[in-house]
Amino acid sequence: MGSEEESAEFYLRYYVGHKGKFGHEFLEFEFRPDGKLRYANNSNYKNDTIIRKEVYLTPAVLRECRRIISDSEIMKEDDNNWPEPDRVGRQELEIVMGNEHISFTTSKIGSLVDVQSSADPEGLRIFYYLVQDLKCFVFSLISLHFKIKPI
Amino acid sequence: MQGTAADGEALDFEPEDDDLMDEEGAPDAEASPPHPKLKSAITASSTLSVPKKTKGRGFRQDSDSAANRNSRLTGSDFDTLTAEGGPGPQRSIEGWIILVTGVHEEAQDDDLQNAFGEYGEIKNLHLNLDRRTGFVKGYALIEYERSEEARNAIENLNGSELLTQTIYVDWAFSSGPINESVKRKNARPPQRRSRSPRRRY
Repeated sequence: MGSEEESAEFYLRYYVGHKGKFGHEFLEFEFRPDGKLRYANNSNYKNDTIIRKEVYLTPAVLRECRRIISDSEIMKEDDNNWPEPDRVGRQELEIVMGNEHISFTTSKIGSLVDVQSSADPEGLRIFYYLVQDLKCFVFSLISLHFKIKPI
Repeated sequence: MQGTAADGEALDFEPEDDDLMDEEGAPDAEASPPHPKLKSAITASSTLSVPKKTKGRGFRQDSDSAANRNSRLTGSDFDTLTAEGGPGPQRSIEGWIILVTGVHEEAQDDDLQNAFGEYGEIKNLHLNLDRRTGFVKGYALIEYERSEEARNAIENLNGSELLTQTIYVDWAFSSGPINESVKRKNARPPQRRSRSPRRRY
């Protein structure tokens, strides 16, 4: 575990959402450099209300988050040829790591079929799996800490 | 930071919230957010010093969504569990959560149960999988009811070996922010060691 990595700056934000007949429905989470994890989930379906949670993480958790991102090699990708956000929805992934800062946007991805048929299947596949791994990590953290079902 | 923990805690939040509220202008902005001022990114930018190589459409688009985040992830009405005492591990609703990293990709629930069950009953175990490969992603989250159980597991298993790999064990949640000035290069909490035996001559 490199000590250079350790002290490097780190920020991550992921958003997925759309505006439809139930209003603006979205899920968003953020890892801040000071360790704060913020989580917001707004679904108006069946009168659900917004859930907003925040908790401070230890450096160990941030380190694992950075590892997941590094291993994915998402920072080498580019969203140039990814599907544009549309009426069905949008996703945003913003990451600051070391001296790199990405802010990618794309449409919602229903399944691997969407990935395969895109203009950049390799890059989009990396994004697709990374987002699932990150969500999985965040859902575990939030549900264990607050004892809620995030989705 | 000294002073009572509670005061320190409350004060910590003030400046930040103020910063964030600046973007929203008047306090009547609750219903619909005013026009976004930030094109892309990052409330954190104020804390990020070095210029970054940037990449992605998020920097170019005048997306209302990207900017509306000011109304989504800011504000002070996030639920949180109150921290008690000074900075240190944070209790979760029903117990104490620890993070295990370096977990072998073929590890199973039982492997972790066996190793960590030594230190107390495991109330919850999340051994998440890599969505692409289907193997273990490399970390586990474990919940104990009592803090001593979690602390014992950390002290005894951090740096130990599980299925040929070295695992690292630490608290998952903290009662306060990571303090840059205190943060050491190697931010693992110091191993509590017994005192070395007196030197013999």
